Amino acid sequence: MLRLLGSRLLATIPTLLGVLVVAFLLLNVVPGDPVAEMVGERADSATIARLRGELHLDDPVPVQFGHYLWGVVRGDLGRSYITQRPVLGDLAERFPKTLQLAGAAMLLAAACGITLGVLAAIRPGGMVDRFSMLIAYLGISFPVYWVGLLLILLFAVALRWLPPSGYGGIAFLILPALTLGTRSIAFLARMTRGAMLDILPSDFVRTARAKGLSERRVIGKHALRNALLPIITVLGLDVGNYLTGSILTETIFSWPGVGRYVLLAIQKRDLPAIQGSILFLSVIFVLVNLLTDVLYAKADPRIAYD
Amino acid sequence: MLRHLHRTVNLFDTAKYALFLCLLAGCNRSSERTQVQGPVYYERDDPRSLDPALSTDVTTGEMIAVLFDGLTQFDGDGRLLPALSDRWTADRTGQRYVFHLRPGVTFHDGRPVVAGDVKRSFLRVLDPQTHGGRVWPLLPIAGAGDFADGHATDVRGIQVLGDTAVAITLTEPLAVFPKFLAMPVASVVPPDVPADFGEHPVGTGPWRFVAWQHDDYLRFARNPNYWGGAPQSDSFTVRIVPEPLTRAAEFLAGRISVAEIPFGETAKWEQEHPDWLKRKPALRDTYVALNNRRGPLHDPNVRRAINHAVNVPEMLRSVWNGRGVAAAGSIPPSLGGSDPTRRPYAYDTAEARRLLKAAGYPDGFTVQLWRSGTNVELGRVAQAIQAQLATVGIRVEIVSRDASSQREAVRKGETDMAILDWWADYPDGDNFLYPLFHSASFGPGGNYSFYSDRVTDSLIMVARRTVDQAAREALYRRIETRVFDAAPWIYLWFPVDLWAEHPSIEGWDVSVIFNGQRWTKVRVAAAR
Repeated sequence: MLRLLGSRLLATIPTLLGVLVVAFLLLNVVPGDPVAEMVGERADSATIARLRGELHLDDPVPVQFGHYLWGVVRGDLGRSYITQRPVLGDLAERFPKTLQLAGAAMLLAAACGITLGVLAAIRPGGMVDRFSMLIAYLGISFPVYWVGLLLILLFAVALRWLPPSGYGGIAFLILPALTLGTRSIAFLARMTRGAMLDILPSDFVRTARAKGLSERRVIGKHALRNALLPIITVLGLDVGNYLTGSILTETIFSWPGVGRYVLLAIQKRDLPAIQGSILFLSVIFVLVNLLTDVLYAKADPRIAYD
Repeated sequence: MLRHLHRTVNLFDTAKYALFLCLLAGCNRSSERTQVQGPVYYERDDPRSLDPALSTDVTTGEMIAVLFDGLTQFDGDGRLLPALSDRWTADRTGQRYVFHLRPGVTFHDGRPVVAGDVKRSFLRVLDPQTHGGRVWPLLPIAGAGDFADGHATDVRGIQVLGDTAVAITLTEPLAVFPKFLAMPVASVVPPDVPADFGEHPVGTGPWRFVAWQHDDYLRFARNPNYWGGAPQSDSFTVRIVPEPLTRAAEFLAGRISVAEIPFGETAKWEQEHPDWLKRKPALRDTYVALNNRRGPLHDPNVRRAINHAVNVPEMLRSVWNGRGVAAAGSIPPSLGGSDPTRRPYAYDTAEARRLLKAAGYPDGFTVQLWRSGTNVELGRVAQAIQAQLATVGIRVEIVSRDASSQREAVRKGETDMAILDWWADYPDGDNFLYPLFHSASFGPGGNYSFYSDRVTDSLIMVARRTVDQAAREALYRRIETRVFDAAPWIYLWFPVDLWAEHPSIEGWDVSVIFNGQRWTKVRVAAAR
């Protein structure tokens, strides 16, 4: 397992380098001028020209990239053009908040999604099945934006149970986590149901029942365990997506996470902030994928990577 | 199987109770957090910094205005008032000013404000090492340009007269210069500014800095020693709420004190909460810059035809929810120099067709109209313009880009037409003429229509040098009439801001200029 981890981590270095190169080149061809965003609506050309020079924006692209790469190697992601604060510090401040939201959403999704899926699979076509699949359909069909605003209207404005938006205690977490988790709940429920329906007619499930095991053990220990692989896949992908910032959810709920940081950086063409964020988020994505692979092996001992 | 289901149902019950408990706990916490004594305002995005030298946008400027003071300031109606300087004198030509400092003013850390601080603050803004980006308000000072370019070690136009006065000499007379000094970037900061000043600001303003959680909130406490009278409330909070509909919800939940009404909700609020609403004509233009250097738009007759072909009152009513006044010029009606007798271009498609024919375009032509994808309301206006110009044969292709791409294209003169708005930096007719129509302001300076007319240029310069207010305003009127006749824009409207004020709030009003609101007289009366 350690060897696996080591080799996989080494393999991420070229991936990350590739990400950096592509991001750098893309940002160089995208229209929009970072200096124009710094100086605001009205500026004189001399100031703009001077700032471009000071920020080395007029250097050849390979030279600029070399500068940047040298900084990255030393662990310095640079300073934001707009705020003049270190990008790494800004990300470090926001990432725990994104992690909190993603974690809550995933917990919710895993708890509700898997439960719904299992219940649905136990008696396909029954009431529970139809109900949970209805929820799944709704969850997949409604746009995040709409769900978020609806939840705010209901729980914050009409009932006044929860704050509409912002960051703070658990009360602030519930609505955004629900919004973010809705799609995953729906997706996981369908995925779990499908996987369980494949597994339940298997010989080993029948054997387990024949041994006289309780239905709970048959479902929970034997069937679900074998249905876990696709579930882990979906969970892994979703966690990766959520950790890299959920721009819509964070915006609707004024959640001070990474997604909004990246969005504003892109809007302002804040090159160091965009590049730093892309690199940071790529690392997160790679790590989540690695974790997913490890979990595969844990869930199904037949999978050997060596 | 049934037994299993029973257990699951029990599990659900447990989960339900757990959730209920969480809700209770959460609600308690939320009420703890909303128990702030003072008003709560909001911004759309995090400010750039709390360092005045980096103040290049409205959000940052609004925060700087509550923490810092300049030598002069604007009030909520856009009048120029004394601030750190309680009186100033100008020589006859308007080229040399002496600003006398208000005695007894201290920074939040207790240090007294002296004249040297004014000079150091201005030098800091101009210093290339600051990378601030907004030096133009200080560039009229003699020697400021050389210093900003790194060619000089001092600005010869700023002279410190003891501890109590500063003399400022300009390269040429500029009557509106005292208004430049009320802009956030010209705020006075203490000596020995630390590297993290933008995170821990120390000013002289009515509010002291307490805390800043990025993208979440800023908190300020009352400055009991404020020279202009201590604020009525103990604290002032600014939350960062990017989504307009969320802001409306926050307002309805009583968690923010005032909120701008989202465009799509205008009628609903006017119907449901008319007593909460406050309107004020803004110092802002909504217009379409017609690139005077491109294709058929080069011809003034074509530009006039376009103005005649657009039904502004109808668009104002249907697309803009009536939140504006049709424009017959660029200077907002509340500013001196605007001409109330001038009539907007009449909606007259026959006249438009006649002008197009006279210009040699009887069958019209095709142009691009750029809009920023992030501004939904202006996008709707763009569609309305497209439909209306089609009736006189002008085929409009709408190009939707993000704000940054659009800005770059507009500044480079690569757009035929672009729908834009212009916010006042200082409340004066000059702010709606020099940047918008002087040929020295092409592109980044604000002249996005690339309108160029030597007579206009020289008249604007004469106005800038004219110290007498009435004479200057007469010149503004003359300039504007000339520009309006050449129709470098599609003149749309001057927006009227529409805000809701929570019933518990007292002493608040909509400010016509972003840095005219300092929240000193605002109180939260009843329990929220």
